[in-house]
Amino acid sequence: MGEIKLTDIKKSFGSVHVLKDIDLHIKDGEFIVFVGPSGCGKSTLLRTIAGLEKVTGGEIEIDGKRVNEVTAADRGLAMVFQSYALYPHMSVRQNLAFGLENSNMPKAEVAERITEAARMLEIEPYLERRPGQLSGGQRQRVAIGRAIVRRPTAFLLDEPLSNLDAELRVSTRAELAALHARIGSTMIYVTHDQVEAMTLAHRIVVMRAGKIEQVGTPLELYNTPANRFVAGFIGAPHMNFLSAEVVEQEAGKTTLLIGGSHRLLVPISGQKLSVGDKLTVGIRPQHITLANDPGSLTVKVRLVEALGSETVIHADLNGEKLLAVVPGQRQISPGDEAHFSVAGAPLHLFDGNGLRVKDK
Amino acid sequence: MSTTTNTSRLGSLLMAPVHLLMRIIDVPLRSLQKATGISGMAAFFLAPNMLIFGIFVLLPLVINFVYSMTGGTAFFLAERNFVGAEQYSRLFTCGSYLDPMSCQEDAFWTAVGNTFWFVILQVTLMILVALVTALILNRDLAARSFWRAVFFFPVLLSPVVVGLIWKWILQRQGLLNFGLYQFGVEPYTWLTDRNWTFVATIGVSLWAHMGFYALILLAGLQAIPKDLYEAAEMDGTKPARVFWRITLPLLMPNLLVVVVLALIRAVQIFDEVYVLTGGGPGTSTFYLTQYIYETGFASALRNPGLAAAASILMGLVLVVLTLIQLGIGQRGEKKGKR
Repeated sequence: MGEIKLTDIKKSFGSVHVLKDIDLHIKDGEFIVFVGPSGCGKSTLLRTIAGLEKVTGGEIEIDGKRVNEVTAADRGLAMVFQSYALYPHMSVRQNLAFGLENSNMPKAEVAERITEAARMLEIEPYLERRPGQLSGGQRQRVAIGRAIVRRPTAFLLDEPLSNLDAELRVSTRAELAALHARIGSTMIYVTHDQVEAMTLAHRIVVMRAGKIEQVGTPLELYNTPANRFVAGFIGAPHMNFLSAEVVEQEAGKTTLLIGGSHRLLVPISGQKLSVGDKLTVGIRPQHITLANDPGSLTVKVRLVEALGSETVIHADLNGEKLLAVVPGQRQISPGDEAHFSVAGAPLHLFDGNGLRVKDK
Repeated sequence: MSTTTNTSRLGSLLMAPVHLLMRIIDVPLRSLQKATGISGMAAFFLAPNMLIFGIFVLLPLVINFVYSMTGGTAFFLAERNFVGAEQYSRLFTCGSYLDPMSCQEDAFWTAVGNTFWFVILQVTLMILVALVTALILNRDLAARSFWRAVFFFPVLLSPVVVGLIWKWILQRQGLLNFGLYQFGVEPYTWLTDRNWTFVATIGVSLWAHMGFYALILLAGLQAIPKDLYEAAEMDGTKPARVFWRITLPLLMPNLLVVVVLALIRAVQIFDEVYVLTGGGPGTSTFYLTQYIYETGFASALRNPGLAAAASILMGLVLVVLTLIQLGIGQRGEKKGKR
């Protein structure tokens, strides 16, 4: 089992409130990713679950038992640190055995668990080496191995891939996903990389300034972000935000004015919307197409990044920045005038407080 | 904005003489480099230091060796007669090396014996006390900086001052007896009791130097990543096991440096003890450096040659200790690279 329930978690360092009223229910076997910008409290939240930090308020339950006062060692969790935290003076085998020896486990069982983990992670050839003699990727496996041998109820991973180079990160990411599928234990994973979050998570927890902004599956967050922050954080390149004004309201349809003069009909009849309301329209760069139609948005091209398979166009719409990612290679250069079409694109509307305007 | 401008203006004003100086020495240095090449410049910049090292270290070493091969009481080398290894053989003429009194130079062997026990006890205690102090200072104490300063402060004192301070404390009418008297304890003559003075010299040198070694160990402790302790905490490692299996092995490079430095320093013990006890009572705190000093300069029948021979022998011991340190250091580096 590996069910973790957080209720109203608060954590302060002196007068600084790092975590504010966190409520979260992590199901057994779930791969959950905490994501957010630096300093948002995601690592602190992980450490409070681990027992390395005491909460200032709230309840932590693991498999139905309150563990606020239970020591880190007795919570039955294992942690993989960002720095790996391998003991540099011990061999890989000793590193893997160290935690097991604390519980006076019979030597035969220790050896068996090490062999099993080493085989699973393909680190058998390095068992007698020291961490200093291993590459970053190998060290990372050892760190995961040290967690696996403990057979914890849940794995806590604190930015485990951040010290790897880009290529290795991609392959290790896939291995982690496979490992989770194989072990089936609950995994809580902290990262600031939204691609890692999108690819690994069953559910993503987006955090900002000590609060949870939204919890949902990767596609829920992508398709229906709860607010402007989540909309901007999930998806690469970031979502475009344009200021808009409601100019007409009919049954089931709202007309917005964007870019100073362009009228946009959106199939939303937000009850609270009325003519004159100021809104923000969010459009993902991938949903913008190039058009010849003069009725579309007329923009000034600032920068063109030709990536081969796609072209990234940085443009200016009446003083507002607009980014488009269009497939293929385009003959377009900075200074040109271009027409962007958002017809048929999923549009995200956010009110003055940055909250999503829901349809009805 | 204006503060920045003012600061930069002040900076350029202060730097003006430096720039001027640089411009003046630039011309001759450039022509020198043209004449001698880059390697010549290295020699040029090293020369002042090598000169000082040569005059104040290398030359005295050679002169000292020459002195050790001469006899008589005269100070000028020209007035001294060559005696070969006679001074060394005099130092080593003994009935039994375990009994200083059976030796021709019984004072030398007494000093060697005293220094030996002093070194063994003082270094052992020094390591223990410095390690415990460093471990405590590494914790999240209130006013940690203050405590660090308190322990380091004695290191800044001159050894003579250290000796005097403790003399005022330990002498018959000193602070310690005054304090004890308040509790009804009879005053005691600490500095005339053979055993107590030996203990006092160890204690005083501990107090005076411990801060330095504690600082080295503290730096070592702080270099151990916190993550390792957290990983150990997650694994439910008991504090004693954390100390023996994580802290101590990772602190070992610093600990070895401290051991060797403390050893070298303990062998050379002199100034604070000389001020505190003068080597007495009797010969209870008579250490090797004091023997060399008194034989060469202070006694009525001074013998610079014998003192030089003794100091050469002590120097050899220090060379061996230093080589051990270098060896250990290099082994540690290799290990770190692996």
